[in-house]
This record gives sequence, structure tokens and C-alpha cells, in this order.
Amino acid sequence: MIGKMKRRDFLKALGLGGTATLAGCDLPTTVTLEEGKEDVVSYLLPDEYVIPGIAVWYASTCTQCAAGCGIHGRVREGRVLKIEGNPEAPINAGKTCQMGQAGLQGHYNPDRITTPMVREGGKLVPTTWEKAQALLSEKVGAKASLNADRVAWFTGTLSGHQRALVSNHLDAIGSKQHFAHEVVNASVWQAVSRDMLDDPMPRIRLDKAKLILSFGADFLGTWVSPVHFAGQYAKFRTAADRGALIQVESKMSMTGGSADLWVAIRPGTEGALALGLANYLVANGVSAAALSAEVRDKIAAHDLQKVAATTGIATAQIERIGKALKSRNPSVVLAGASVEGQAQGYDAVAAIMLLNVLLGNIGTTIEPSGKFPFPQLEAKTGGTRDLLAFAQAVQQKQLDVVFVYGANPVYSAPAALKLDEQLNNVPFKVVLAQFPDETAMHADLVLPVSSYLEDWGTHVAAYQAEQSQIAVQQPLMQKLYGDTRGFGDVMVTLLAMRNAAQWGAFADNYAYMKNVFANMKTSVGQAALSADEFWNNSLQTGMVKVDAPVRKHTVKPVVPNVAASSTDAAYPFYLVPSPRMGLYDGRHANLPWLQESPDQIAKVVWDSWAEMHPSTAEKLGIAHGDVIKVESEHGALEVKAYLVKAIHPDAISIPLGQGHTEYGRYAKGRGVNPLKILKPITDTKTGELAMYATRVKVSKTGKQETIIRLGHSDTQHGRRLARTVSVDVLKRTKGA
Amino acid sequence: MVRWVNKHVAKFAGVAAPRALHHVSWIAAVALVWAVTSAVSFAQDIVPPVGTHQGEDVVQPIEFPHNIHVEVNKINCMYCHTYARRSKVAGIPPTSKCMGCHKIIATDKPRIQKLTEYWQKGESPKWKKVHDVPDYVHFTHERHLKKFVFDPDYPVENVKEICAVCHGQLKEMTVAKKVKPLNMGWCVSCHEKNGGPSDCWKCHK
Amino acid sequence: MSLKNVFENWSTYRKGAEEGGYHTYEHRWTMAINLDLCIGCNACSTACYAENNLAVVGEKRFAKGQAMHWLRIERYWDEEGKDHPENGASFLPMMCQQCGSATCEPVCPVAATYHTPDGLNAQVYNRCIGSRYCSNNCPFRVRYFNFYSYYESAWPEPLNLQLNPDLTVRDKGVMEKCTFCVQRIRVAKDKAKMENRKLQDGEFVTACAQACPTSAIVFGDTLNPESKVGKLWKQHQVKRGVYKQTKEDPQLRGYRIFEELNVDPSVMYLERVRDTTI
Repeated sequence: MIGKMKRRDFLKALGLGGTATLAGCDLPTTVTLEEGKEDVVSYLLPDEYVIPGIAVWYASTCTQCAAGCGIHGRVREGRVLKIEGNPEAPINAGKTCQMGQAGLQGHYNPDRITTPMVREGGKLVPTTWEKAQALLSEKVGAKASLNADRVAWFTGTLSGHQRALVSNHLDAIGSKQHFAHEVVNASVWQAVSRDMLDDPMPRIRLDKAKLILSFGADFLGTWVSPVHFAGQYAKFRTAADRGALIQVESKMSMTGGSADLWVAIRPGTEGALALGLANYLVANGVSAAALSAEVRDKIAAHDLQKVAATTGIATAQIERIGKALKSRNPSVVLAGASVEGQAQGYDAVAAIMLLNVLLGNIGTTIEPSGKFPFPQLEAKTGGTRDLLAFAQAVQQKQLDVVFVYGANPVYSAPAALKLDEQLNNVPFKVVLAQFPDETAMHADLVLPVSSYLEDWGTHVAAYQAEQSQIAVQQPLMQKLYGDTRGFGDVMVTLLAMRNAAQWGAFADNYAYMKNVFANMKTSVGQAALSADEFWNNSLQTGMVKVDAPVRKHTVKPVVPNVAASSTDAAYPFYLVPSPRMGLYDGRHANLPWLQESPDQIAKVVWDSWAEMHPSTAEKLGIAHGDVIKVESEHGALEVKAYLVKAIHPDAISIPLGQGHTEYGRYAKGRGVNPLKILKPITDTKTGELAMYATRVKVSKTGKQETIIRLGHSDTQHGRRLARTVSVDVLKRTKGA
Repeated sequence: MVRWVNKHVAKFAGVAAPRALHHVSWIAAVALVWAVTSAVSFAQDIVPPVGTHQGEDVVQPIEFPHNIHVEVNKINCMYCHTYARRSKVAGIPPTSKCMGCHKIIATDKPRIQKLTEYWQKGESPKWKKVHDVPDYVHFTHERHLKKFVFDPDYPVENVKEICAVCHGQLKEMTVAKKVKPLNMGWCVSCHEKNGGPSDCWKCHK
Repeated sequence: MSLKNVFENWSTYRKGAEEGGYHTYEHRWTMAINLDLCIGCNACSTACYAENNLAVVGEKRFAKGQAMHWLRIERYWDEEGKDHPENGASFLPMMCQQCGSATCEPVCPVAATYHTPDGLNAQVYNRCIGSRYCSNNCPFRVRYFNFYSYYESAWPEPLNLQLNPDLTVRDKGVMEKCTFCVQRIRVAKDKAKMENRKLQDGEFVTACAQACPTSAIVFGDTLNPESKVGKLWKQHQVKRGVYKQTKEDPQLRGYRIFEELNVDPSVMYLERVRDTTI
């Protein structure tokens, strides 16, 4: 202990015996002002910058969603108390969303798994890491007889060195089975961008646009990189010539709440509307010469009358949008999850991208992204196609060993896939989890991982801001529980089990990361710095800046075969399973701040609800608060009806996030999970689950319950509290 | 005037003023002046807070002798309680600070050996807090040191007299003992007389 | 109040409301919230929970209106008679307006709430006896009462490790409300005093302003001529100490809520803009 203390060792020294006894004055064993009662444990050998009473700020990266925002954590006396945005982070420029703020509650959650668990006699019982490692060695170690392709990793979006480690592990085993799954994703948008622009994640420039036309893309809430877009949106609105937002969707998202014009569209008909708008634009002087004959025919076939009938939007309204598109330049047209999640989702998104091509947005508001120079660190973005492929592989008994990390497929898989039952076909399931979620509870071996605030890592967001970077994640404090391990630590152990020669040299993930960074600095143009300098700089700034050569967009418009709308007498309504910034896809249901944070549009807390239009409710004889049965071909949910005008009359919207059957005290047994009753149909071109294509019917149960929400008045009763001024009044200035 | 001084010296000394002594009351007057000027050996006119407290004898894991360190070795308070001049809390010194000297000095003494045991185990002693204010009070050492030590250029080697205003004369104690009440009235008595803030929210968190 | 006193202190009494009236303000902490930028995301509200040790009360108590959200985002639908809310929703972040002439201050039986020399409406938890007269009097309904000892249930270990030591965890029977992050103000002022300098604008901000992804919330000291918030108030010609603003230019979107009640709020809102010409 005497001698030069490295920062990491200092973090160890803060706690005694690896448990959460923290030095300094502010965490007493009792709270009193009487003399001689409180303990004051002094430091042993603190670093110079540690002054009790003064906070130290460390940079890291948020992992509450895949956007990869940079954060600063406020640390007092060895524990992290508050998360703020890192002002230097290119993605979020010092800002955070509420999920980022609530990361602390994941870290300090009372329901974290604190020891490894193994299944014995049908139940999960606590065990030790020694026993867990012995079991792993037996099943997937160097001496294990494995059929390589029958070993798989099932993760969420994975990037940076975490992805490299998993890839290395699969290579060491000889398998190529890496399933990446995200419920909230932009996979179809990425596929269309790749096909039409040669760019899987083009940069969006809302700040340069004068008009945003968003087809259900909740870019301020859940689409791609919300905090980044919110920053751009602020510039968009405060520009001298204020930008306007038109949001077209079947249920009002958080972004839709800020729209200048919100248009309710029949679910699944967005592609038709896009072609109708293209039709209008071409008829009103926009040149389609660059498009192929096939594409032009498609546009011509979608005259406004036809589109009005398909979408349920009046021709006058369609013209209104078309006129705005034509007159306000530059514009940008976006397509969100509700467009993607249809059987012809790819085609609908292609039709929407076509509008960008027609309007000349490619190169102005849709810019080429940088080609990230390290492909092994690039994000493997999750979608739902891999969930379906995984479910099929499991059902067909094609897997012997499955590792799960950063995903909860038992929760998110539609009941029709019967994934929870089918997982019994996999003899050895290892789940690396922080919390006792549904998938962990199905495991044969549960390995408790450290939270992101206690762990090392790197992240490469799929959507990069202007400055490409590898985002660095470092522990903001010593880990709370002695028996959790960092994800990277577990990977290094697994890799050493397969290839001791190469991986045995690394004691843990920290050693691996330091080695990686020492080798990395030359490739990022930092050869002049010593390894220590480069490491310290990266930790202090929270990132490694990377030069990513800008791609070239080659525009190759796809022929969009958009679907006609369909009717279904038995299941007349469209189910809209909407994610929200908050509980997200269900992963944050165990964070009390986010449960108590009201839904942005409905203002409901701690529960699920089914939104429907008052006209629909009247036809069905349903009142606000009535418990209704929402039934698809594949299951039924009982949920309270919430009457609101911000939804298409043919849609029923149930928010994602609740309906957990495990996951701790704040999440378990609360609300319903609409993912369960989804029909397992897919987008024909990408194979992604068509999440928004399920049809449902609605019936009354006779029960009534209170909907708990913030505020009891939907109108201001003329009180002008939140005032609005229209742009034409603004432009009328007196005199001058 | 002498009778007035007499009465007040007596009050100060806590005894009743004997009338018979009034012919030596000029001595009392001088004594009063001396008492006032010596008790407050600050460079400027600080009026100390009013009140004392009969503190408990708190048993600490090691009976740390302040008297040896302060009186015999003349170590400055701020050498160990380093954080006083730059933070809210003065801080219990890290064990490394003790070991800085005690690796070599007095290693045969039982208390030092106990300390060295802690150090070698990689633990810090669990000291018991003696001077505490409630959690809802915001008290900053650094502001008080700035006002009474650094701004008036008070000689730093005498800082123990400033510390003594609130912490008592540590040179007479082994382990610290609470000899001032540290309650709000006591703090306010000093604030009122020395121009400290009187805004509730300055101190109430 | 003698005539002599009035003459001697004439210059103090003659100060306009802009300069603080008869108070001698060191700072005047103020906010400006641009409703055109507020997207209703709740980042500010959750940041406030994190910073200020706010208790999560659970659905039963939330239903009774006993939630402790010092900063809440209200959502209103503005349009009557249409099938759909074509102009979106109106989001309104509402927190203690730190009124210059607060209606809550004079009614406290024990003076637990008073006006600080910084222009804030202070709530001293120790002094509060829980009469709840103040929250009754607040027209904005931004005072929250601890009906329960939330610390018993809101922070099961180790959630309690997240608590901010710079401010207390309130007990049952005590009123609380937004403080404009006074703990940050206190720390910043201490730092500035220790460094013998004035506070700079932007040196620190409230938790809500720091989190807001669109920077809709601007916080600062209007007595500082460099402050962004001071410039905004000036730009939108919103004056203190009046119950009705006299400007006419519709470009000046600044306004204060319930100003007509003569409470002199320290928060200026900028009207949300909607482009109805599309």
C-alpha cells in the first residue's frame, strides 16, 4: 500500500474488504449529532485531488440506450451521486435525457443480482464464481467438446471493445452465431439508407432544415439519437427563419407533441402518403427526371384521391403538406418505427426516402456519415430479425449453448414464438445480467455483471455526430458488490478458457483495455503521446476522437411497392405498441424515477393504458378508465382505456415497458406488455418483425379503474398558462 | 466606573463581587483589561461565540494524544487537518499522514504499534465523530478560515487559537472532546457580532 | 417609521422593483423558459429528482396528489372542436416561481418561508411546523408537503447511497418546493468568495437547466449585466414589480404566469410558437 498508488488501486482502497464501506465523513453508520456515535473512517492513502467535501467529476459513457451519450458523473466521497452530460461529447454536448439521469437508480438498484446463480433441481440457487467458472470451463472451455455452430451469443446492440471481445470469443469457439436484438431500433431505415444511399446511418441535419416532415419518427424521444437531435432541434426552432415540424403518425409520440401540424394517419399507409406527396410534388414542378421509369410509374399511380382513400387523410390536407414541402427548403423527411414495422415496411421507408431524393435533401439535410476506420469496433445494431432467427434456431433445437447479455428476449418475444418454453431446448443457457429479468430467470447459469457506472468499456454509437469518436466508459466508483464482475472481465475469463496462450496474459478487462489503448494510439494519430498520456487523456475527455473519412452518397432509388390498406372484419383495429423515452422497451421498468415520471403525452404513471380516440370509444360504448380486453390472434390483454384525440380512430395504442413477470419490486406484476400479443409477421424485405402490423379487436370487461396521472385537466380552461402565438402574428410587428 | 468594572470582572470570573474589595478594584480593572486582551489574542477584534459544553469522554480506537502533537511537537493543526482551508470539512487525516512520521518515530509505543497494525492490514481506524453538526446544517471550514486566518493575515503558526474558538484547547486533551455546544444559538452569537451571514438559507440546507 | 428615517434612506426606498425595491439584493436568481423549445421530455424533472433527494411516492400516493415532483411538466391540449390536436400539445414546466411578492411568505405562522437576499423564496425545513397554509396560498400549486416519512420507504438500500449530501432528506410534516438548486448556489458562492471574485454567468446552473436537451431553461442572475437570462428578460421587455406588462410587439414572447395576481414571479416563459400557415 505504501508507494505510488494507481487510481484503480485507490478506488479499491476506498472500500474496506470490497464491500460498500466508504471512506470520508458523509456516510455514517448512524445519523445523529451526538458525540461519539457516528463513525468517521478516514482515507488510507488518497490521491491528491481527493478532498472530502468537494466533488470530483469523471467522464464516462451512458448505456441506458444505444445512443452512446457522453456523461460526467459527480462523485463525492467515493460514490457517484449525479449524472450530467459531458459538454465535450459530440453526440449530446453536455445534455442528458431522463433515462440517462435515471442510470443511477440502475446502479444502486436494490434488486440487483449480487452473486452468481446456478440451476439446481429446477431452481436458481446462489453459487460462487469458482463453481461458476468450473461449470463454464466444463461446457465451453478448451477441453469442452463443442459443436461450434451450436454455440451462440444473444446480445443487445454491441459496439466497441465489448463487441470485439464477443467476436473474439465466437472465433475462439469457431461459431458465427451472434444474434443482436433491440426492440427499439431503426433497422429498416438503415437498410433503406444502405441500399439507396450507400450509407447505413446517414447524418441528419435538422439544424439546417426549414421543414421536418416526420412519418412517425420520434426523433426527440426514441429514434436513433434523441439527445443529439434535440440539440439540433433547438437550433432549428431558434433560427431567424423558424423551422416547422409536420408529424404524420397514427398515435402522437413525444415529438408529435411539438408539431406545428400533426396529422393522424391510418396505420400502415405511410408509404402510400409518401408516394402521394411525391405525386403532388412532381405535378407541381419538381423534377423526377433522375428517377427510373418504374419509380415514376409508381409515383404516377398514387394520385391524391387514391391516397386519400387509403390513408384516411383528406386531399386538401395532403396538398397542404405537399405545398409546405415544396415551399420550405431545405427540408428533411424521416421515417420511424411505426412505418418500419409493417409487412411492407421497407417499401414504405423507401417511398419516404424517395421524397428526400426528389426534394434535393440528399447532401443538404441528409449528409454522408463517416466510415468508421475500425470495423471490429463498429456497432452491431440490434433489430428484431435476430430475435426471430434466434427463436427459430431454439425451436429447431439448433443450439446447445447460449450466452445472453444486454437483452431480455423472454420479455420482448411475442407469445406466439413460445420462446420461454422453447428455451428448454437449449441445454446450457448462461445469462450475464445485472437484474433478475425474465431471461435471467430462465437461465442455467446467471453471472452478475457490474453496472455501467462501475465498469470499463468503449462504445461506438451507430449514429455518430460530426466528430467520430470511440466513447470511453470508466468506473465512477468502486463496485458496490464484491461478487459482480465487469462484462469485459467475464469475457477475458471466457477467452482465457479457450485460448490461455493469448488471453491468459490479461488479469482482467482493465489490463486488456490498457493494452488495447496502448496499441490504439498510433492508429488514431496520437503516436506522439506516451501510452499513459493517451490513456489519461482518453479518460479525462471520455472519448478517443477518430478520423472517419466521409462517405460518398450514390443515390439509387428503390422501387417502393407500398401496400394497399387492408380491412379485417374480425380484428378491426390496429395495435400500436409505442415505446417512450422513459421505460423504453421495458428495460427501465425497474427504475422508480422513470415509473413515477409521467408519460409525456398521456401523463399516466406506474401503469399501462390503451389509448383510443373518443369517437371510437363512443361507438364501442367505452368510457375513460373502463378496463377493456384488447385481443389479437395471438393473445389478449386487459388494460384501462384512455380516451385521447391524439390518435387515429382506427388505432389502439398500448405503451411498451410494463407487464414484467420478473425484474424486481418496481417492475414486477405491473401493467401489460403489448409485445406479447404481436403477430409474428415480418417485413418482407428485411425480415424485421412487423411490430405495428398486428390487428386487434376490443371488448368491454365491465370493470372500471382509476387511471393515475399527473394533472386532472386536459385543457387550460382559457387561462393562458402555456401560451401559444402563431407564426403569422409573430411576423406582424408593430411599426418598424 | 470602578464599581461597574468590579461587578463585571466578578461576573466574568463567575463569583459575587465582595464589597470589601472595592479599594483594590483598580487592580480588578486592569485585570479585566488584561483578561479581555489575552483571551482574544487575535489580530483584529473578534468576538467569540458565547457558551460552553461539558463534553463526553469519547473512546476512540486509538487514544490519539493531541497534547503531544500540538504542545510538545508544535505541529500545526492544518498539517493533519489539511482540508480545513479548502473544503467544508476539516477532515480526519488519512492514515498515510500518520504513517508519514510514525514509520520511523516512536515505533515502540503501543498506540503507534496499533496504528501500524491498521496500516498494514490496509484499514483505517474507525474514529468516532466528536464535533458534528446536524445533517441539515451547511458549515464550511474554509470560509471561516478565510475570514479569521487568511484574509486578516493571521500568522498561520498560531492558527490553533482560531481553531480553539470552536474546538477548545486541544493542547490540553488527548482525544478531542467537545467543549463548545455547536448549537445554532452559539453559532449565531458569533455571526451576529462578527458580521457573519444571518440568512437562514446560508446554513440550513 | 420616522420622517427622518425616510429622508436618510431615500435612495434605498426609491429603488424600483427592477433593482429590488427596498431589498438590497446580492443576486436575483431568475429563469427564462422557452416553451417553443420545451419538448416535454421530462429530463428536467428527473434531473431534479436526482439532485434534490426527491422521494418516489408510488402509485397510491401519487393518485392522492401526494407526489413530490418539485418540477412537473404539464401537458395541455389547446384546440377545441377538432378531431385531432393538429397543433400538437402544449408543455409547461412548472416549478416554484420564487415570487418577489410571494403569497406563501406572509402566511406562514412561524416564518419558515421568507425572502432571501438572493431573491429566492426560502423554505427552512427545521422551522416548518406543517400548517400547510403556504401551499394553500400558492396559486401555482408548487409546494409539496411530506405527508409521510418517505425516507422509510423511498430509498431501500443501496438507493440511499445516491442521496445528495448537500441537502437534507425531509421528514414527515415538512413543506418543500423547488429551491432553484440553492445548494449549487451556495457552493458556487462559497467558491467565488474563496477566490475573491464575482460569480460568472454560467458558472453553475440548476439541475433542470443543465439537463434540458434543447436548452429551453435558462438560469442566471439578472443583477449580473452579462447574464444570458438578464438579456432575455430585457429583450422581451418583461419587467419585475408590475402585474401587467405594457409591451405590444408580438415578437416579444416573454410573459409571466399569474402575474396579474401581483406575485412578481421570477420565471419568465416565452410563448410557444406554432406555424399555422402550413
